[in-house]
Amino acid sequence: MKRIIYLLIGLFISLSSYAQHSSMSGVVVEKTTNNPIGSVLIKGINHMTLSDSLGHFSIDAENGETITFSQVGFQTYNYKIVNTDATSLTIELEPLPSSLDAVVVTGYTKERKKDLTGAVSIVNVNDLDKQTTANPIKALQGQAAGVYVTGDGSPSGSSASIQIRGVGTLNSTQPLYIIDGVPTEAGMHELNASDIESMQILKDASAASIYGSRAANGVIIITTKKGKAGHLAVSFVGSTSVSQYAYKMKVLNAGGFGQALWQASVNDGVDPNTNSLLYKFNWSVDPNGQHILNKTILPEYLNAAQTEKTTNTDWFNEITHPGIIQNYNLTLSNGNEKGSYLFSMGDYNNQGIVKTTNFKRYSMRLNSDYKLFNDRVTIGENFTLNKTREVGLPDPNIMQIALQALPIVPVHTVDGIGWGGPEAGMNDRQNPVRLEQDNKDNYYNYLRIFGNAYVDVKILKGLTFRSNYGVDYGNYNSRSFQKTYKSGYLSSDLNTLNVSESQTTKQNLSNTLNYVNDFGKHHLDVLLGTEYYHEYDNNFWASRQGFSSQDLDYQYLDAGSGTQQNGGNAKEYALLSYFGKVNYSYDGRYLASFTLRDDGSSRFGRNNQYGIFPAFSLGWRASQEKFFTETFLGNIFSDLKFRFGWGQTGNQEIATNATFNIYQTNYAGGDPTWATSLGTAYDIKGTGSGLLPSGYAQTQTGNPNLRWEASTMSNWGIDFGFLNNHLTGSVDYFIKKTSDILVNPPYIAVDGEGGSQWVNGASMQNKGLELALTYNGKINDDWTYTINGNISEYRNKITELPQSVLYSYGGNGSTQNILGRPIGSFYGYVADGLFRTQKEVDESAAQQGKGLGRIHYKDLDGNGIIDVQDQTWIGNPNPRFTYGFNFSTRYKNFDFSFFIQGVQGNDVNNIQKQMTDFWSVSDPGSNKGVRVLDAWTPENPNATVPALTLTDANNESRFSSYYIEKGTYMKLRNLQLGYTLPKATLQRMKLSSFRVYIGGDNLLLLMKSKSFTGVDPETPAYGYPNPRILTGGVSISL
Amino acid sequence: MNLFNKKSLSTAIIALGLPIITLVSCSKKLDVNPKGAISQEQINTPEGAESLVTAAYAQLGNDHYDQPFSLWEYGDVRGGDAYKGGSGTSDIQNFHFIETFAGTLVNFGEVDALWYDMYIGVSRVNAALNSIESLTDAQYPLKQQRIAEMRFLRAHWYFQLKILFKYVPYIDENADRSHYDTIGNRTLSNDQLWEKIAEDFSFAASNLPQTKTDVGRPDKAAAFAYLAKTRLYQAYTQDDQNNVTGINTTDLQAVVSATDSVLASSYHLESDFANNFLPGKYENGVESVWAVQYSHDDGTQYGRLNWGDQLSVPQGLGCCDFKKPSQNLANAFKTDANGLPLTDTYNNSDVNPFTDNVDPRMDHTIAFPNKNWKYNSANIFLDSWSRNPAVYGNYASLKENVDPNSGYFFHVGPFFPNAKNRIILRFADILLMRAEALIELGRQAEALPLINQLRVRAAASTGMLVNANGSPEGKYVVKPYIDGVNIAWTQDNARKALRFERRLEMAEEGSHFFDLVRWGIAATEMNNFFAVEKTKWSFLSVGFFTKNKNEYLPIPQNQINFSQGLYKQNFGY
Repeated sequence: MKRIIYLLIGLFISLSSYAQHSSMSGVVVEKTTNNPIGSVLIKGINHMTLSDSLGHFSIDAENGETITFSQVGFQTYNYKIVNTDATSLTIELEPLPSSLDAVVVTGYTKERKKDLTGAVSIVNVNDLDKQTTANPIKALQGQAAGVYVTGDGSPSGSSASIQIRGVGTLNSTQPLYIIDGVPTEAGMHELNASDIESMQILKDASAASIYGSRAANGVIIITTKKGKAGHLAVSFVGSTSVSQYAYKMKVLNAGGFGQALWQASVNDGVDPNTNSLLYKFNWSVDPNGQHILNKTILPEYLNAAQTEKTTNTDWFNEITHPGIIQNYNLTLSNGNEKGSYLFSMGDYNNQGIVKTTNFKRYSMRLNSDYKLFNDRVTIGENFTLNKTREVGLPDPNIMQIALQALPIVPVHTVDGIGWGGPEAGMNDRQNPVRLEQDNKDNYYNYLRIFGNAYVDVKILKGLTFRSNYGVDYGNYNSRSFQKTYKSGYLSSDLNTLNVSESQTTKQNLSNTLNYVNDFGKHHLDVLLGTEYYHEYDNNFWASRQGFSSQDLDYQYLDAGSGTQQNGGNAKEYALLSYFGKVNYSYDGRYLASFTLRDDGSSRFGRNNQYGIFPAFSLGWRASQEKFFTETFLGNIFSDLKFRFGWGQTGNQEIATNATFNIYQTNYAGGDPTWATSLGTAYDIKGTGSGLLPSGYAQTQTGNPNLRWEASTMSNWGIDFGFLNNHLTGSVDYFIKKTSDILVNPPYIAVDGEGGSQWVNGASMQNKGLELALTYNGKINDDWTYTINGNISEYRNKITELPQSVLYSYGGNGSTQNILGRPIGSFYGYVADGLFRTQKEVDESAAQQGKGLGRIHYKDLDGNGIIDVQDQTWIGNPNPRFTYGFNFSTRYKNFDFSFFIQGVQGNDVNNIQKQMTDFWSVSDPGSNKGVRVLDAWTPENPNATVPALTLTDANNESRFSSYYIEKGTYMKLRNLQLGYTLPKATLQRMKLSSFRVYIGGDNLLLLMKSKSFTGVDPETPAYGYPNPRILTGGVSISL
Repeated sequence: MNLFNKKSLSTAIIALGLPIITLVSCSKKLDVNPKGAISQEQINTPEGAESLVTAAYAQLGNDHYDQPFSLWEYGDVRGGDAYKGGSGTSDIQNFHFIETFAGTLVNFGEVDALWYDMYIGVSRVNAALNSIESLTDAQYPLKQQRIAEMRFLRAHWYFQLKILFKYVPYIDENADRSHYDTIGNRTLSNDQLWEKIAEDFSFAASNLPQTKTDVGRPDKAAAFAYLAKTRLYQAYTQDDQNNVTGINTTDLQAVVSATDSVLASSYHLESDFANNFLPGKYENGVESVWAVQYSHDDGTQYGRLNWGDQLSVPQGLGCCDFKKPSQNLANAFKTDANGLPLTDTYNNSDVNPFTDNVDPRMDHTIAFPNKNWKYNSANIFLDSWSRNPAVYGNYASLKENVDPNSGYFFHVGPFFPNAKNRIILRFADILLMRAEALIELGRQAEALPLINQLRVRAAASTGMLVNANGSPEGKYVVKPYIDGVNIAWTQDNARKALRFERRLEMAEEGSHFFDLVRWGIAATEMNNFFAVEKTKWSFLSVGFFTKNKNEYLPIPQNQINFSQGLYKQNFGY
């Protein structure tokens, strides 16, 4: 079959060209990206040539001859000529994954990977693309050493948070993103991930400090795809996924709830039938004094009007469904010697597993560049238009309410239309189904325009000037309508529309001069530049009440006739920076880099507005030395490089007005429903209604002496390659010291509401080790595989703790504090099991509320009384280590990969235990987890769950080691099986590639700590559930 | 290649020049001012001062149900006048522990938040004072009056803090914020703290106008009234363990002279007791010496409503049925055939609100099933209105509530706050304080007519307590004390009568517990209360008042920690 196709193609070509030729020609491109590859060595039996800069080649060859294509960094490719008339061959070379000649963008310039002296992780973008999340940062989880990503399963992925090399600072761990030279700090889910060509993570200060004041959390450099010269390419990628609820909390059903309520009552010696929850119990005491529940009796209806029928609702089932994720991308690109363009469109739609939640993203990109004046001037732009739209979880947190809502409450009243809800005596938790249904049209729209325009001028040989203007504009508008409702005794006869709009305009202008030249074996790369960054955000909101219709078409302010309110504010800040960088190398063996940046920020007071951030790094490529290349060492090591870097980076993530005393008028104050309003208006004239006189109150105390928070990092690294670079890797050890950490600490009450003040507080240190290894294996021409893994660890401790923040991180404010301990350490009581015998109760220290089946707290100071002094440090949330493991293999036309990621040894605060293990510790009267059914009773003396009680007299809500569990887990994050159509079929179909695949994300929890009693150790705090996702997709290139 | 052709050179010059131009033009671009905020300069102007004063008043209305400035939990529930209520003991569980005294811990969030919110009140006052004092009288003709108002407000906050926590850090406008960390809660002694509060009220009394310029501001009489209240509390001297060690006659004299000024003012008793507890035209009446002003339809989302007392709306009207009047309190309204209270035997049997002789103030204070809700015979309070009668009974508190049809009843979320003002100083209270001082001074004869004024007014307050058919809702029998006729008006009997009268008159207005502590009888009274009441209600079975401890709340541990141990915990905790 194959032969016939080849033959037919050959015949067609030969017919059309009328004559036999003794030469073949074509273009050599990189397999995954279709980038043309220049200087490829092309060898036939008698002839040899190189491809030109656009990958074109032409070689004389005979039919049946095998031509070899080889180039450093690529797998050598053999092509057997079946017909020499094949004049338009496209030869695809597969890059060796750890190509040392790969060019990486590092701080306003590019470097070859082999010349790098800083700690830089180069992310395999293809691995990220396999996951269905809207946020590439979420997909980064486990993919790079020293990069720790956490996040829940929200459809937008916007909750993902990333931490590079430990907790470097306290306000925000977000790194700085540089996308095509434009800095930005957030919202990666708003941009189309499939436009990403490459991603580099600058982890250490020597690499990142060129970005100065915003680089303390590391820098992620993203370059988007460009059009390829001489090659019109059209590609389409589409996938559809189904997501399912993976880890569901088991909560009590109606019967179980009754049983727990009865047990808590009899434990307390309270008549179980005095509850306000409609449960009646038939129970007895047997001759042994054992309480026996004979029967739980529930009324047929919850209310006298008989509109709510008693039922057994599983609220988690009611609020969730299988979600659907659709992702389509179309890319068109072309180029020639004078320029190129790339146009792409993306459509991402994620209907979450929580009903009515969804996230939609439409994106468009146009990247282009043109060369003018004999290629001396290049102008170009990268421009994207992105529109996202999201319906999130309704407020209040529906996941929490699905746990709390009572199972006896029906979703609907008997007519099937009205909402079920709590009746008098029950908790005031809303019907979560109502919440999500009433919220289904409450979305926000976000329009983000992101892009840059640049001009590159080659002034002299090696001297280039570049001016880059970037803009990141966001327009957010939301409309939220609160409908009237009746749901049990909860009701509202007032509807309210809230609309809000905000605009964020971030602009930056950078000008750089770059001089690159070689002087013999000396290579010099000098960069000088300035950058100006300006951000202005303004927002307003308005609301009205009283809409006669609740139809979507009426949900506009004009249609409301009730109370009107509005508000708005703005923020502005600016940065001005000067920087320089010198890279020097000698003979590719000795490498050095120096950078210096002087950054000014409007956020700081005049006294400390500017900060200087220096860095240097040194490298020695030992494998280039003669004693390596000419000895046995050369046979073992294909590459060996030692690196050292030192540098400082800064952080300025504070309020834009932190240096000022702020007085604000707050007419109404916050929503007074659930918290104190702190309004400033008062009816001093006693008129009872009408506009009130409003004052203002101080809401912030300025700190004119604020200064930069600085991180100083030293990094020792080794890059190595063995077996002709089949096995490559790197090891890095770092020490990162962060001083004068900027915080707005909680404050003593006597300061009043103006006590809020930004200060330079604690200092801390992270030390860590990172290892990344890649092995490229080849069994035969048909079967190759790649294994890569990374593992990293860090140890954090607070090294300095000034008075101003002594009590900001737990402890008792004096003798017990976090100094010398890891940040985030848990401070509380030590739970020492349960009291199991009366003797234990009698002999223990005085503990208010102690008793059989109650938690026994340790008397740490041994004074015979359990009090606030009996607290200590009971856990460390920082993992022992984190790791990721990727395996991918290709056999003929099939490819298969999986990715495992894990976290080891972190303590988590499983605060959900308050809901799963206790009746009355948190939110009594609400539903609970099934673990309460295995609570301690005299008949169940070995239980670990404390006895149920109606009131928490033993104060088990106190933060104790009872809530601390190990957060260790290992998850199968992704698995994919793909099939690519053979070349021959493709040619017949006039396609350049066609691949179909199936796979999934978050497929299995392979391992978790036995001590963890919750559902998903990754999200103990219980956000949007991380779903299990099954995906099928196709990618086609023309 | 020609390295230095003209074109290259000019390009190079432009290229090098551009960054420099950028820098020069940008150097001022780092001067960015905050947006939408008032600058420090604007604060120290007469307008700024006025605004800070308004905000200081506004804090009076910024209370919340779990840190209520009405102190219903701390004054009424802790004093045995009400049960916590709600769906069960675990509904605002910490209030259950505070109610039974058995489990009051040093780290209750509700207590910490109350402390914080009160200090916000203090800090707003101090900010206003700093601004006012930076101005001259010429710039700001209202200067002295506003200073007096602010000091009045500050003293109000400290008074509240004082009766709750006993030892509190005293911070005024002269203390620099950077030195707050040197001011402990024992920097001033018990008596010095009272003295500070009294100083502010004295200043206010001397500098406030005779009549209010705005109804929400205090006047001279209000300052004298609060001064009297302060001196009365101060008079009962206490040791560190909260034992009442004596009674200071100088302070008592001060009560008498301060109340002289109030009596000389235009304030007097309402003709009907009910008028104090009705919204709208009844607000800021002749008996309301000083009140928190609530408002509705005022441009805020829900109105500046009474968020502190909203939970006491019965479930049948909305939510959440907290603050259930106690059986003990209900029984206290029983009267004998002579119309006098059964001071010793009132609790021997439970009152029948329909057939027993009662003081009419009972039906103004407590809602009983099948009686009118807030004087509205078309809206009968029913047994079913209670949320969990098996635990907390089926009464409801009336004074802070309104008729749902009054136009002052609102629905916000699950809650039903109202817009009725909260009276902080009621003329009746001043009469009682004066009577108490006179009795303790041995001038009980002068106290008798004061007490009787209230009893006579009570007797006259039955006009609204009628059924739909016009018949009275209960058997109202209340008479004044007549020395030698129905009572021997000795100091002891007068004291007993005064204390009982005070409970009846001021019931559910947030003060009974503080009266008991002032008189030094909290332990005895509360343990007597528990002894009987726990036989009626199982949730009180753990109730026990620990003498020398439970008189005051613990200093919030959080604040002790923030102070790095400078604040000292109260005795017993």
